[in-house]
Parts: sequence; C-alpha cells; structure tokens
Amino acid sequence: MKKITTLFLTILFIATVSGSSVYAQAQKNEVLIRNATILTASRGTLQNTDILIQNGKITKIGTNLKASANAIVFDGTGKFVTPGIIDAHSHTMLDAINEISSSVTSMTNVRDVLNPTDISIYRALAGGVTTANLLHGSANPIGGQNTVVRYKFGRPVEEFVFPGAPPGIKFALGENPKRIGSNPQPGQTPRYPITRMGTMEVIRDAFIRARDYKQSWDDFRAKKTRVQPRRNLELEPLVEILEGKRLVHAHGYRSDEHLNLLLIADEFGFKIQTLQHALEAYKIAPEIAKRGTAASVFADSWSYKLEAYDSIPYNAAILWKNGVNVSINSDSDERARRLNLDAAKIMKYGGVPEEEALKMITLNPAKQLGIDKQTGSVDIGKDADLVIWTAHPFSVYSRPEITMIEGTVYFDRGRDVLQRAEIAKEREALEKLDVNKAPGSGATQPRVPSERRIEERDEADLVNGGNH
Amino acid sequence: MKITNYELRIAKSVSRIGAALLVCGLAFLNVWAQNDGSQQNQTGKAGTFAITNARIVTVSGATIENGTVVIQNGKIAAVGASVTIPANAERIDGKGLSVFPGMIDASTNLGLAEISGGVPASVDVAETGSMNANAKAYTAVNPHSSHVNVTRVNGITTVLSMPVGGLISGQATVINLNGSTQSEMGVVPNFGLVINFPRISTFGGFGGGFGAPPVEFGEAVKRRDTQIEELKKIFKDTENYARAKEAYAKDKTLPYPATNLRLEAMIPYIRGERPILFTAERERDIRGVVKFVEETRVKGVIVGGQEAWKVADGLKKNNIPVIYTNIYNLPVRDDDAYDFLFEAPSKLQQAGVRFAISTGNDGAEVRDLPYHAGLAGAYGLSKEEALKSVTLYPAQILGIANQFGSIETGKTANIVVADGDILEPRTNIKYLFINGRMLPLTSRHTELYESFKDRK
Amino acid sequence: MKIRFILPALLAVGSLFSLSASAQSYSITNARIVTVSGATIENGTVVVRDGLIESVGANLKPPADAQVFNGSGLTVYPGFFDTLTSLGMQAQAAATGRGQGGGPAAQAQTPQNVSNSNYAGGLRPEESAIDELKAGEAQFETNRNAGFTTVVTVGRSGIFNGQSAVINLAGDSVSSMVVKTPFAEHVSFTTIRGTYPSSLLGTFSALRQMLLDAQRHQELQKLYAANPVGMKRPEDDKSLETLISVLNGQMPIVFNANREIEIIRALDLAKEFNLKAIIAGGQESWKVTERLKTQKVPVLLSLNFPKRTAAASAEADPESIDVLRLRAETPKTAAKLAQAGVKFAFQSGGLTTLNDFYANAGKSVENGLSKDAAVRAMTLSAAEILGVENRLGSIEKGKIANLTVVRGDILGKDKTVTHVFVDGKLFEQKEKPATPAGGRGAAGRGTTPDAATAVSAIAAVGGNYSVTIDIPGQPLSGTFAFTQQGAILSGTIQTQLGTSPIKDGKVTAEGFTFSSSVEFGGSTIEIIVKGTVSGNQISGTIDSPQGAIPFSGTKNP
Repeated sequence: MKKITTLFLTILFIATVSGSSVYAQAQKNEVLIRNATILTASRGTLQNTDILIQNGKITKIGTNLKASANAIVFDGTGKFVTPGIIDAHSHTMLDAINEISSSVTSMTNVRDVLNPTDISIYRALAGGVTTANLLHGSANPIGGQNTVVRYKFGRPVEEFVFPGAPPGIKFALGENPKRIGSNPQPGQTPRYPITRMGTMEVIRDAFIRARDYKQSWDDFRAKKTRVQPRRNLELEPLVEILEGKRLVHAHGYRSDEHLNLLLIADEFGFKIQTLQHALEAYKIAPEIAKRGTAASVFADSWSYKLEAYDSIPYNAAILWKNGVNVSINSDSDERARRLNLDAAKIMKYGGVPEEEALKMITLNPAKQLGIDKQTGSVDIGKDADLVIWTAHPFSVYSRPEITMIEGTVYFDRGRDVLQRAEIAKEREALEKLDVNKAPGSGATQPRVPSERRIEERDEADLVNGGNH
Repeated sequence: MKITNYELRIAKSVSRIGAALLVCGLAFLNVWAQNDGSQQNQTGKAGTFAITNARIVTVSGATIENGTVVIQNGKIAAVGASVTIPANAERIDGKGLSVFPGMIDASTNLGLAEISGGVPASVDVAETGSMNANAKAYTAVNPHSSHVNVTRVNGITTVLSMPVGGLISGQATVINLNGSTQSEMGVVPNFGLVINFPRISTFGGFGGGFGAPPVEFGEAVKRRDTQIEELKKIFKDTENYARAKEAYAKDKTLPYPATNLRLEAMIPYIRGERPILFTAERERDIRGVVKFVEETRVKGVIVGGQEAWKVADGLKKNNIPVIYTNIYNLPVRDDDAYDFLFEAPSKLQQAGVRFAISTGNDGAEVRDLPYHAGLAGAYGLSKEEALKSVTLYPAQILGIANQFGSIETGKTANIVVADGDILEPRTNIKYLFINGRMLPLTSRHTELYESFKDRK
Repeated sequence: MKIRFILPALLAVGSLFSLSASAQSYSITNARIVTVSGATIENGTVVVRDGLIESVGANLKPPADAQVFNGSGLTVYPGFFDTLTSLGMQAQAAATGRGQGGGPAAQAQTPQNVSNSNYAGGLRPEESAIDELKAGEAQFETNRNAGFTTVVTVGRSGIFNGQSAVINLAGDSVSSMVVKTPFAEHVSFTTIRGTYPSSLLGTFSALRQMLLDAQRHQELQKLYAANPVGMKRPEDDKSLETLISVLNGQMPIVFNANREIEIIRALDLAKEFNLKAIIAGGQESWKVTERLKTQKVPVLLSLNFPKRTAAASAEADPESIDVLRLRAETPKTAAKLAQAGVKFAFQSGGLTTLNDFYANAGKSVENGLSKDAAVRAMTLSAAEILGVENRLGSIEKGKIANLTVVRGDILGKDKTVTHVFVDGKLFEQKEKPATPAGGRGAAGRGTTPDAATAVSAIAAVGGNYSVTIDIPGQPLSGTFAFTQQGAILSGTIQTQLGTSPIKDGKVTAEGFTFSSSVEFGGSTIEIIVKGTVSGNQISGTIDSPQGAIPFSGTKNP
C-alpha cells in the first residue's frame, strides 16, 4: 500500500477542512462549496458564489445555496475555485512508455500498463491536475494507443479510465523517431526511418495497408469473400482513424513536418485531432486552423533540442488568435504540478485574456480529448472535478488546498500535513518488525541516495527517459 | 554523418534567424541607434533617466509607494519620494508601475550551452578530465547567445554561469546580461571555483546500449572516500606549490618551480580569498562539505542544497550560504512529502541560513527565476523573503551587494520596471536597465513573434 | 542446510531403511495419519501396495506380506506438492537464444534450440516441459528428502514459458514420472530483447494478437473441414494449436504475477478472452481477493517471502515504506486468501532452502491461517488446482501412494522428514547426497585419500571471471570470484544487484554448480547457477524464477 492510500481512506472517513464534517464515501453525499470566487472557464468569473455537488455532479451554482444536513461544506471565502486541470500530454503512471522495436506500434495500448500507485499521480493532484491524457512515447512515427484517465489515486485502476473518452493514438515526427532508428543496438541494423523523409513514408505506407485491410473486411461483409480476414491489431486502430473514430495526437516540432502530416491526413481523408508540442505551430497557424486541428503545446520551453530552437512563448497566443484550440501540457511529472503558472504565462506572452488562458489547461484540453461534456469547466451538469486554491491560480503564491474528482476529495493539503506524523509513526513501527530488521550482514545493495528524479520533457517521450 | 546532418540543420536554422532579423530590423529601425551589429543587435542607450511616480521596491529598505529613481552614469544617482531630477534626464512616467532591482540567478550555465540536447557543437559546459581548476566560464560564455536577451527581458539582469563536470569543474563567472564582449558583461570574471563534492554514486560509466552496470554500493562509498582524499591532496599540492613559488620569488637562488596552470588557479581558493562553490544535495554530502570547509578553512558556498536545512547549524557556524536550485525538481523519494522541495527555502530561512534561490538551469529557462522564488513563497517563505532570495541575497552571496541586489543610491543601475509584482507570471516588464543603459525588450522570441504573428 | 535437515532422519530411522526396499507392500502402523480429505486418525495404519494406497484406518491389520514400520511418534501426510518449479528441466538457454530475437551471445548458445515456429523465441506456447524434462529420479533427491513428492515443472524463460507438467519425483523415465501433461500454459509478463515485443506494452498486444490468431485458426480449420472450396488450406501452426486449448478452457493459463497491478492485468486479459486463469506468485493477491473469487481464479502462492538481507548502512537511504509494508504484509496473504474463499496452494517461488518452505508456511499459520488450511495448501488444494485430486492430495484408498512421514509437526520448528513414498516407492536416504554440498558431511569427507583422488578428476574453476549475464533487454555485467577447495566451491558473485555469497557450491568433472540469492524489488530471488570453464572461458546458465538466463565471460588474468 502506498502511503497515500492510507491517507486517502482516512480522508474518506474522518477528514475535513472545517474540522466537523465528514467526507463523502465516493459520491453519495452532497458537497457544498460556499462563497468562493469561481473561475468557470466557460462563463467568466463569479464572485461570492456557491457550488452544490450531488452524486458527483455540479447541480447548482449560485448564492445562498442550501444543502442537506450531512453535506460536506467547504468555506470558500477568500478562495478560488477552478475546474480540475487537464494535462493533455502525460506519461505519468505508465510502466512502459515506448515499444521501440517497430516504426508502427499501433497495436499497443497504454491501458495495459497503467500503474495506479505511481506517487507522481498524487503530486499532480497536489498541483490541481485531475485528468490526464496518457500517451505512448515518441519513438515511432505511429505509436501506441492512449488512455485518458482521472487521477483517482487510491482507487482501483479501472476507475481511473475516463468513461466515454474517445480512443486516440500517438504519432511522432522529427528527431525522436528518427533518432531511435539511428541508434541501433549492437548487432542490429538501423530501424527505418532515420530521416524525416522516411518518417512520412512510414505513415503513408501504414495507411495504405490500413485501407487495404478495411477493403478486405468490406469485401467479406459484402460476401465477396468467404473467409473472414485475420483481425490485425496493428491496422484496426488505423482503420478507426480513417473512419474518424480514433483521435490522432501527433508529436512534432518543425512546422513543415506537422504541415506534411496534415497533408497526408487530407490525402487519406481524416483529421489530426491535436498537434503535440507543436512549438513551431505559430508558423502555420492558418493551415492548422483551417483543418480544425488543435494544438497542445508547452508554455515556453525551448532550445533543449535543435527542433525546439524556434519555439517561442507567443506560440499559444498566435494559435489562439487564429482560432486554434490550444492546450498547455506538461509531458512531465514535475511540470504537471505547476500548469496553472504555465497558463498564466500565456497571458503575458501575446495578451491572451485570463479566461482564454485558463481554458488552455481546462476546457480546451477537454475538447481536444472529447470529454468536454463531462469536465473542463464549472457548469451545471458537469462532473465536479474541481480545485480550491488559496489565491488566484495564476498567482505564483497560490496553491491547491483541495482537489476533487466527481465530488470526492483526492487531495487535501490540511490532511496531508496532518498525516505526516502518522506516517512517521507507522514507519517506526514497521522498522521494528523482524522482517524489516537487517541481519547485520548481507549481500545486497542498500538504496543509493539519489539526487534527481527523472524529469521528462519530450525527452522522456523517448525510451531512455527513465521509467516513464 | 550525423554531425554533418546537424551542421546542415544549424546552417538552415541560422539562415532562418537571418530572415527573422531582416524582418525585425525593419520593425525596430526606430529603436535606438546604438546597435553593435551582434545577434543581440542592441546594447541599449546610455543616458540620464528618471523614473517618476512609481512604486519603488528597494528591497534593502522600505518600499516607496510613490517615488523617483534617477539613473545617471550607469549608477543609481538618487532614489526617494522627492528627489531632484536632473534637467537632462529622460523622464519615464512610472504611474502604476513598480521598480525593482534586477534579479540575479546565482547558478546557471547561461551562455555555455545554446542547444543542450543533440547539438554538442553548441555546448561548452564541461571540460574533459576531473581537475579543471583553470577552466574559466568567463572565457566561454557567449555574449551573443540568444539566451541572454530572452532571460533579461524577464527581469533577470545578472547571472552566475558555471562549468560542470568532473571533480573540480572550473571557475564560475558573474556577468551582467548585456554586452558585446565578455569584458563588457563581466561583473566578477572569475568568481568562484566549482567543486562537485564527492558523493556516493553507483554510476558505472557509459558504454553498451544501456550504459555500464552500476558499481556495488560499498564500492561506491569507497570511491567517494577516495575522491575526498584526492581533493584534499590537490589542496595539499597547491599549498606546496604556492609555497615554493613564493619562496622563489623572494629568493631567486632557489630552484625555479615550474608553473602548473591548474594548481596556480587553485591558489586563491585554497587560501579563502575567493569562494568555492560546492555542489551538494543530500544531508550527508552537505555535512561532508561542512567538515571539509572546517578543515581547510576555505570560503564555501553550497549549490543545490535539497536537504541543506538539515545541516543548518554547521552551515551557520562556518558561514556557508546555500544557493538553492531545487524548486523545479521532484522530491527524490516516494516517501518525501509532495512539497518537500518547495518548502526547503523557508526552512533555510527559519533556521537562519543565508540562502538564495536559483534556477540551476543551463540557460533557456533561467528566465523562470522569479517563479522559482514565488513558488517558495507559496510554501512558507514570505513574499519579501522570496523577492530577496533572487535579488539582495544572491548579491550578498556573490559578494556584489555593494553594487547590486537593491535600489540604493550609488549602486549599479540594474533596474527593472514592471506593471506588478515581479515574481508573478502575469506581470509584464516595461523597462529594463543594465549598467544604466536602457535596453529594448526584444529577444529572439519577440523577433520570431513579430515575423509570424500576422501571417495569414 | 538441507543436509542438516535430513541427517537426524538417518539416525532415527536408519534401521528401518536398512530393510529391503524391494518389498511391494508397506504398512505404517501406530502413526498419526493426516488424511486431509477426512478426519485425522490419531493412531492408525496406512497400507501401500503396487504404488497405491490399499487401505487406511484406525484399526487395520497390516497384510501378512507387508513390510511393517512402526510409526509411533510419526505423522503421515499426503506427499507434499510444490506447485511451481523448474525441476528436471534441462538448463535452458533463455528464450532469446532460440529466435531471431537473441543478441549474438544468445544465438551462439545451442543448436538444439532451433525451432520451426512462426514466432520469435519467447512467444512459443507449444514448448512443453516434458520435451525438456530430464528423466531419472536421482536429480530430485534434495526435494524429495525434504518431503516433496509432486511438483509442477516448467521452464521459466520467455513470455510463454510453455506447457507445464505435473510430475512425481520418482521414476526412471519421463513417462513414469509424469502425472499429468500438459497441466497449463505459463506466462510471464516479460519482454524479448531486440525484437517485438521489447516492452510491456508490446507484450500485451503480442499476447492479444496471438490469442486472436488462435481463435481464427480454429475457425479456419472448421471451415476448411466443412468445405475447402474458396479458401486457402489453413497453415499448420503448433503455437496457435496450443493456444486453442487455452482459449477453449481445456488448459488453464498460469500468469506469473506478484504485484497487485500485475495480477489485475492478468485477470483483465483472462476476462477479455474468457481464459481459465491461475495466478502464480501472488504476493499481493490479498489485495485482489474479490476479483479472484469472482473470476474463480486460484493462486499458486509463493512462500518465498521478501526479507531484508542488506546490512544497514549509515550511508544509504532508508528503505521506502512500501518495501517495509510489503515484508510485513506478505506472511498474512495466505490467511487473507483463505478468509476470502480464494483457492490457493503453496509453491516454493524459487527458494533454494526448502526448509524455508515449511518455515514460511508456519509463518502463514502464525499470521492467521489455520494449520489444516496450511497443510491442505501443500496437498489436496494443490491437487485440486492441478486437476489431479482424484489421484493425489489426500490419504485415501485407491489414491497414488505419495506419502510424507514426519517426526514432529511439519509446520513447527522441530521436525524431521523420516520417510518419503512416491508412487508407492520408499526412498532410502542415501548416505551421500549428490547435489547439495557444503554441509557438514561433505566437508568431513574432503580430507580422506579417496576424496583427494576424486578431486583430481574434477574441473579446476578457481579464479575471478568477468561475465555478462544476458538478461533480455538489460544485459548485466558482473564478476564471479571462485575459490575452489577440492569439490567445494565458495566465493561471491557480484553484479549491480549486489554481491552475494556462493551457497552449496560444487565442482564436478563437467563443471560447477552453486546457488545464491539476490535481492530485487524488495524480495529475495534464489538462483541456481550451472556452468563450465574451458580455458579462460566461462559459460553457463542462471536459473531464476524469472527464467533461465545464459551467461558467459572470461577469466581475469
């Protein structure tokens, strides 16, 4: 059991912010947030407003709302409420990120390797993140299938999976897929592709094969052939793309390359849902806007590799002005904890209005992932994925006090702080057990005092980025 | 083959920059004529300036809610609620604006690495070998790096840039973020010696597809101890070398001691004339540094300092300050509290340890310095202390507080005028002065922005 | 260790064993008989004839022709099961050695591993334990002396470990040893180095594709049999053929899974394809009891409990609280499974010190498991999970005469296995155990002139070797430091996982063997190393619960 699992249970049964009320077990009870400043991310800012949550959904927004006697009440006076942050590009909680053995790994699905005990989930919750798009790495022109999750830390893994989120897939262009190719294992031949030329051809080839595959099924269904074709897990997701049933999230940097992918999509008649990273997308903003493609970018990262040298923090603003749906993502367990500040930066670089900047970490990624009916803004009827902040979330001095998903609290700073002494006590007791005592001599490695936890930003998209 | 590829791409990249500059050149033709033709393309304009009606956050003293700062001959000539403004001064209406001292990042590699990943030709952070006391960041820091402008337009005016790698990495330099030559930038050209204090590492070296296997733990402990002995030996050798040199200087009948560049470079540091920057993160290693400083009586500074607050007494006793670089890092152990590294500066402050907050970044993201400080502010540090931790405190640690780090008469005019709290990400910088020169708020980023923002 | 365990037995019942072993019928009288299927008989008799239990009861008269043992003070149990081992398996090359997936070192391994399979090494479910099984009962002496009569055996390499067999630990031919084959298909969530699948992501998609292909294969065969016109002749594919019986639920599929999430992944896959799943390992299975019960999935629970072997180092970081908790929780797992109604049987989980098997079963009892349930988990429950309960697992008339006779309580501290019957055959304790050296006996004999002569016939392997251990995806370098004293091998092996002393080290004319343990992920993994030295070259295999891994290297000058 993770330390936080215990914590979570404690929260469920006894914890409270005000010291008197009891948290809901799951979503049965009512939750009332009273007298807060609400940044709705859809209809502006509401001062001194209450939010009523019933069965995990926002049922009322207004003043002087009444709740039943056993409702959990949060006093929001002086505090700010936002929708839970949605990180549109993450590799948190994945036990494997890349299947590098092939240029096309569309048969893989990160759903198979989710690890719900990853401590980074909790740390992201503590930064206000409730939902993430967990993507396969960028080692392949066509990578694996993604999974959209809510960070229900402490709950069984199947409860993490966002119900109804449309399926998606990772594509990758540029340095990463070609670099994997150009660094073969000893004794191996390089993996195709090792150039941007080859990358485009891998994608084209895959879709031609997918088209043929679809034809074979169409023929069978039309009774032109007698034998049912073999189900091909590599090509099935690509057929879904062709049929508009699967969203493509395409990692890339250089604008020409992203544009070429858009042209391939035009050719095969499908849409690219999001350009990921897309740090040069500002150079082709009209072309992106025309196709209804969205962009999920870093706020201001640049210069960490050659293809990121033309990245500018004004990227999001230019895209926004062109009518492109923009989200700001982390691609990093570390950065995920401060996406609110990344969104704040967007206001400064290019003059994006506050609510539009907030949307870039809430409603916009929700739309990109096809989950905006359920989450992404503070609106009646949506799931209560909410964060209570000590100050305006775009202030560097603010921090999340409460992070809830569907009305259930998954992070509570007050509780976290209180719990630290209990954890220490538990450790002390555990260390006294015979099983945990060192025999005094032994042959195995003590834990090396480490100084850095891997922080991944694009590089971790790559295979060598550690365990993520 | 690979290198050729990179070169091709760099060439392409450079030509794109050229195109961008061409466009920007037109856009900025009316911006001050004193360009030096470098990639920065501006060194600003000198003159006498008066920022009036502004909120002046002096940092060292009380904030002046409505006052004036006068800049003359590169210095702060006057500051106060009512000061006489020289007749020739260019007046800047500071109504609704705040004036801050320029921020100082006390440990970066800025100017030493243009593109840190995949373009080794642009990287000059680490010399080969383990003992490079004579390597000087000052001689490699690129005045024309695009990181310079990108950083300063966010209010950071001075940085320490340091080499990395090996046991003794070389000498760090303190520079202002303006100038066409290293000497124009230099504040303390050779400020301090970087020593990566030996720590337990099971790293087995590179090689093979996945790197060589780590060494065994006990072996790693031994290796750490051996390295500390090596370090002591280098100090001893330096002492002997210096003695022989001095003796010869007084008495030429003695045998002439051959010059050893590396040991020569060590002399001011082992004598405590200049500081040594010890990189160390974990408690045990920081205790190691404290012990080492006690024994050698050098002037020590900790860089990194994740767990420095646990060694507060030792640090205070030996007057060792901490340049803390871990705000944008994850706690290393699963069991650490989620805010373990956010809280550390406030713990240092409460314990009375001298400290500064730094990005520890290689260049591109040094501009985030205010947010590092601000986040520490969200987790225990007061706003005032947070601001000091990136202005006055680093100036003190870098020994330049007589010239930098606050707005006081007589200090160097490194000044930032902003429309709000300078640590807030929404705040916009309106004016920027380094050495009293008013600099245009342009960078590679604004140039590319101007080039593409209206593309249809 | 094992020696010490068995020596008192020699003293205690040596006279009994000296009786003729050729008798076909045995009677143990005046013994406590734990039938498991029925009530325990405090003072009764068991009669064994022609390999079967002829009768059991409180007031039985031994047949006139039976060799009679006075079992006063002894307890008779059904022979104990170890439900997951690799006993009798030839030292295999790792999966990587058999397909295009192997690196150069692996490929150099062995010509006998050439396969006509359509699939990369590691993805060949058709591989069957009985094809690898080495005949002959002498090799099982250690396990048998420790009281084990029946085991599941299977290789440990690859994603598909292959089809296992249930074998009795006696018999001079494979066919006489086998009780049931195949028992199950075994799967490890591992990867294949250098080729697809090289990550856990790919492992799942590869498994899924093969199961789908097998489904289709079955349909094509039916279609073709009905009418071949208009279709291609379905290819013969032994890999898919094997999976068809898994898909149809005829053959269970055993997933090696310890962590909660691994178990859940296995259960998800089983659910997706409606497979008859079994979890092996099951360290955290207590967290998943609801699902195990719902899906009717039994657990082959490892008794290899995680333990701390590292000395405290002031220089090191403290262990994570998760590791501390895992060690505290693991001994409670069996009781929790029992309480939740999840069927389980014990397995050794790679323990080399088999006494730990009983000691840890005893710890499970200390942590809430009833003694009866613990014994059942070594006998009848095991037989039920393996589908051999009509023939094994209890002391009943007509069942195979696998019996373990113990002085003392098998779950207690002082105990001695005194007799072991396998297929009705009584095993005399040999004076000189073949494998486990290092005990007092072996050392004592080392000084005799005869032994000295023997020494000259064995290999010389002393010295330091730099070796590469070819773990798929993560080759490990290390050093073997060997000190050879006659036939006794001592020293250390050192890798990034640590330095471990050599245990039970032995040198023969052919090469060397030893066991050792390494700590990994909070638990101790027991390994058995076998190898040869030729000139300055060393090579061999390391058997671990994760599979057989080849190693090779050179002697340091």
